Amino acid sequence: MIVVNEEPLDWHEGMTVRDVLRAKNYRFPMLIIHVDGLLIPKPDYDTAPVPDGAVVQVIHLISGG
Amino acid sequence: MKQLVIDFAKCNAGRDCAHECEMECAVRVFKVDDPAQAALQIKAYEAGGGHAVLCDQCGDCVVVCPTEALKRNKLGVVMIDKKLCVGCYMCIGFCEKDAFMRNSDWITPHKCTSCGICVKVCPHGALSIVEVPEPAPRII
Amino acid sequence: MSQLVFDPSKVMPIDYTQRTEYLDGLEAFKAGCRVLKELAYTPSLPDKGYNNRTLYVNVATLEITEKPVTQQMKDVFIGGRGFGLYHLWNAVKPTTRWNDPENEIIISPGPVCGMTQYAGTGKSLVVSLSPQTDIPIDSNVGGFFGPLLKFSGFDALELQGKADRDVILFIDGVKGILRVEEAPAGPVDSHVLGELLTHLYAENEADLPNVSVVTSGAAAEHSLIGMLNFSFYDRRRGCVRFKQAGRGGIGTVFRNKRIRALVVRGPKVAGDLNHPADPETIAKTGVKYHKEIREQDPHQCMMRRNGTAHIVEIMNAYDLLPVHNFQFGSHPDTHRIDSSYWQQRCTQATVDGCWYGCSMACAKGADGVVLKTGPYQGHMVTVDGPEYENAAGLGSNCGVFDPDALLELNFYCDTYGICTITYGTLTAFIMECYQRGILNLERTGGLDLTWGNAAADLEMMHQMARGEGFGKIAGLGVKKMKEHFIRNGWGDPQLINDIGMENKGLEYSQYMSKESLAQQGGYALTNKGPQHDEAWLIFMDMVNKQLPTFEAKAEALYYFPLFRTWFGLNGFCKLPWNDVVPADNSSQPEPQKVPEHVQNYVDLFTATTGIQITKDDLIMQSARVYNFQRVFNIRMGKGLRLHDAAPYRSLGPVTREEYESRAERYDKQLLDELGIDPAGKSTEEKMALHRTWRTDRFSKLMDSVYTRRGWTLDGVPTLARLKELGLDAFPEVVAVVKQFT
Repeated sequence: MIVVNEEPLDWHEGMTVRDVLRAKNYRFPMLIIHVDGLLIPKPDYDTAPVPDGAVVQVIHLISGG
Repeated sequence: MKQLVIDFAKCNAGRDCAHECEMECAVRVFKVDDPAQAALQIKAYEAGGGHAVLCDQCGDCVVVCPTEALKRNKLGVVMIDKKLCVGCYMCIGFCEKDAFMRNSDWITPHKCTSCGICVKVCPHGALSIVEVPEPAPRII
Repeated sequence: MSQLVFDPSKVMPIDYTQRTEYLDGLEAFKAGCRVLKELAYTPSLPDKGYNNRTLYVNVATLEITEKPVTQQMKDVFIGGRGFGLYHLWNAVKPTTRWNDPENEIIISPGPVCGMTQYAGTGKSLVVSLSPQTDIPIDSNVGGFFGPLLKFSGFDALELQGKADRDVILFIDGVKGILRVEEAPAGPVDSHVLGELLTHLYAENEADLPNVSVVTSGAAAEHSLIGMLNFSFYDRRRGCVRFKQAGRGGIGTVFRNKRIRALVVRGPKVAGDLNHPADPETIAKTGVKYHKEIREQDPHQCMMRRNGTAHIVEIMNAYDLLPVHNFQFGSHPDTHRIDSSYWQQRCTQATVDGCWYGCSMACAKGADGVVLKTGPYQGHMVTVDGPEYENAAGLGSNCGVFDPDALLELNFYCDTYGICTITYGTLTAFIMECYQRGILNLERTGGLDLTWGNAAADLEMMHQMARGEGFGKIAGLGVKKMKEHFIRNGWGDPQLINDIGMENKGLEYSQYMSKESLAQQGGYALTNKGPQHDEAWLIFMDMVNKQLPTFEAKAEALYYFPLFRTWFGLNGFCKLPWNDVVPADNSSQPEPQKVPEHVQNYVDLFTATTGIQITKDDLIMQSARVYNFQRVFNIRMGKGLRLHDAAPYRSLGPVTREEYESRAERYDKQLLDELGIDPAGKSTEEKMALHRTWRTDRFSKLMDSVYTRRGWTLDGVPTLARLKELGLDAFPEVVAVVKQFT
């Protein structure tokens, strides 16, 4: 189990940041992601691991008219 | 289209010349006694070798110019019409090669027009004007 | 980073230079114009962003005068919306209503407006007493009119009086002529009139970009939701295009004054016409920003490709896209009207941007649209947008997922001079009333306004333009329709009030606030009414959980409305602030504020005016105008806590099907937030519990926000707050507030 934006999410072996975004349907292009307080750069979303018990913060910026 | 090219097999990035190309461009094309205003800039790398900042007439700036102040002439060279330019500098910001330039005294930007003035003064014959096919416009 | 290049084969093969022309009647129109008043004046160019004079025109008495811009005006009100509110305050009395002759329309560009080196710097602000809200409305609009007005010598244009015949005001900033002409019978609709007048007043082909026209349209004459179109000449398309001052019915005031058009002919634009204090800083900041757009935009919002329509699919994915009058947040057909479609349908091979130097270029255009209905049936036109608000308002909120129908609705809204956001929300309300039997075929005069019936929707719009039938009732807007339906006994008054999405008389714009308390405040606790230009906090609050307490929400509802007010004081557009962010934004403190861009704005203001400001000063500049506007509302008999009330649809689920569509979320909230076990309770019981809880927390939010803003719990700015802002220098302002102490 991990926590994403203060809500629990099931964890699986080998989980990446991209998997978290997919599971939460977070499709917005301007995100700031911290895993256990560590900033994950955008190019690393596909590979950055999310360990069991991690606290993930996905900050959506603002956009639109 | 006409394109200015530099051969770094011959050019030593200004280490054994007086940057004649830049000076000639600044004085004769832009009427200023300052090589920093020239439309080509030869930069030496500390580790040896170097690179040139110059316009290859790719035409990206033509696509983004809001006033159609940038157009190709008969030779395929991208020219600026100062009467139409509104000084928005999108051409500068959208130039991948940083070849579109500005200075504090002129409101309109400037760049290399493949005129060839610099070619004649290069002591090593490293510069030349070549004829290459005009690339298709890119939507950026 | 290497350049991302767009693949042109993705775009439909449409010739963007082809459209129906409307220049046949040009000579006849010219011959029919009769000069009522003409005088010479001395044109000027701004010095450090200001001309230091405004133009006053009374269209009834034909009085034309110049007024000085005082130092106090600049210090306290800055320009733009600030100047508009200042002039309007001096023009009206508490009893003045929108159609009284003393009501004004003020157009003011702001000191930075007209800069060509940074994105989004061509905006003007339009201010008037609104026919929908009876308080000041302000609308931020692009197009060339504002910059060209400024380069003709004026920091604002004040229009007062009511003409007894249709008039055109012509400002020739090159020859120094101010002229009021009687307009002959002829076109009113913007796409025809705008093209005709642009060609009529331009001296030659090369002069076309130096002319800008303000027009409205036929539906503005028969409704309260009229809008103003501000033109700009698109050289590559060879087309007169428009941006809209949409909200609050200013187009209705315009036509009520019998102003057919405003025309300005300015000098040829150059990069230094503002005569800024520090052009070098402006040039450097502009180039830096253009590079950021080039490098980041293709990986972020793709504003250059899609404009604001890129968030249609985003809102749908986050259950925030208004569907069927804000009942639901997503729909399986959304893909038909999202940006993957508009990217192919809108022309990509040209330069979009409603002022020079806008590298964000969100003003997309759909070319080659052949109209299927109405007076222009068979004509080929270019349609602006569609922007997000139009796709959501005219589209999903009304169940219209046919993109061609959406383009046609968008086109007619624009040319008829009505606000797309308002029209979308009021039509969604009508369709829900139709669904629930509050309306029926007989009551709509035969219009079958079921969800998604675009043909009936278009017919209602054509009726509005003709001033006929149910279209005329629709044009009253949601607030007056609610009263009308209740008076006629057509349905349960509570249900009608719950589902009519208006606050202060203005229709909600197109975001679902139901699941974000902060956004409920972002909409309802506004000065002019529920428009997202004050605060858009849904992600911060609902998705990111960054605003967990009332205090945190109140802080956001203090900062963001003030920050965003500032754009309208200066002539900036909001979009370049946060629709792209610098590559390192994520590692900055408070990244949601986009700190580097805020610094850009501070630098651009200082470099233009020569006045040194800080990020805190920027907020103070806004706070003066924001609180002045709040007091203005109170002066007009509104602006108190009771006027900030929100319709329940914006706070929570009104109907059974709404509750059940999100039952899991709502049941969990009962358990987590209220400590009540939902098991065994009926949907009605659970809805009632939610209603009490949600209404109560909205009230608590009001308390927190008012306190943070320095207002009493009744929503009145305190004297201490006014003193802090220096507004105690205005005895009339103090007098309004003193009644409440």
